[in-house]
Amino acid sequence: MNRLEASRALVSALGDEPVIASLGHPAYDLFAAGDRKSNFYTWGSMGLASSLGLGLALARPALRVFVVDGDGSLLMNLGSLATIGSAKPANLVVIVWDNQEYGTTGGQASATAHGADLEAAARAMGIHATATVRTEEGLRAAIVRARTDAGPWVIVAKVAESAPAVKPPLDCVFIKQRFMAAIGTAEAATRGSHQ
Amino acid sequence: MAWADAVAAGVHAAGSRHLVYVPDNPLSHVLTALGAQFPDIHTTLATREEEAFGIAAGLYLGGAKPTVMLQSSGLGNSLNAITSLLIPYQIPVLIVISMRGDEGEWNAAQGPMGRAIRPILESMGIPHVTADAAETTAETVRLVGHTAFGTRLPGACLLPRRLTVPQKATA
Repeated sequence: MNRLEASRALVSALGDEPVIASLGHPAYDLFAAGDRKSNFYTWGSMGLASSLGLGLALARPALRVFVVDGDGSLLMNLGSLATIGSAKPANLVVIVWDNQEYGTTGGQASATAHGADLEAAARAMGIHATATVRTEEGLRAAIVRARTDAGPWVIVAKVAESAPAVKPPLDCVFIKQRFMAAIGTAEAATRGSHQ
Repeated sequence: MAWADAVAAGVHAAGSRHLVYVPDNPLSHVLTALGAQFPDIHTTLATREEEAFGIAAGLYLGGAKPTVMLQSSGLGNSLNAITSLLIPYQIPVLIVISMRGDEGEWNAAQGPMGRAIRPILESMGIPHVTADAAETTAETVRLVGHTAFGTRLPGACLLPRRLTVPQKATA
């Protein structure tokens, strides 16, 4: 399974749940799999996708929040696993596309190519709903569980690099406003006054 | 009103009900004041300041008005989150910064970042104000938050050591 196939499997398994995508190839493949108003594409802030997901999950406990992160970006912010393991938001699902390399920057091997185990790291930080999957069937089954069963979830999906050829919208404010409207938190400044 | 109670009151008055922080000694008094007086403010401890800004951005997407509270040293850990997430996406955060390296500092390792805080904020276009007196701190914090959430640009309130540890700053 490559990351685009995995992204398609994710989108097809979801309803309108929000998905926050790490910058670069995870965001590109999420867009290629299906642009959705409830997709939040980051264009910077490497490492912070899971933190964004945690914040959204804390603000909206009734909303099941999905994150698509990369192995390199999660390794940049491993402390996030400790914070998620402490806060234990039941509605947060972090999916890690683990291609064992920095795919967006030319394919430098990441620590997971040398044995680092991000599922084990999540479990060591107190996150008990975890899985490592290697096939689309395994990924779909994990997502089905994660949509309903209590989290926080960390699903490590071993994927091949997919060399995406498309990019999501570049306008950050457009991405944000479309996303917030889709999840029911449209900014006051976009709504006008009805007094 | 003691300065720490004033910071807590200002955060609450700004409408912020979620605060993400990395602690330091002076800020521990704000945390105590929050717990005693404003239990409706949900606090989250981050492992690192950059992470705190990421969590705050997610809180904002979910409709909250987030506060991030940190020591000035941690602003250096936060610049990529501020410049590549908060500013381009117009995500406002009320930033409360406990100062090190200013008047009263004893640790030379805290000096360079302490002196750089205001130029760094200005170079990013982040407005900042320094809370000089406990009597006006609550209103100062409230106004920084009000402006940030209204204009969707982060804003910072700096807490100097002469406010937070005056016995050391004036010794």
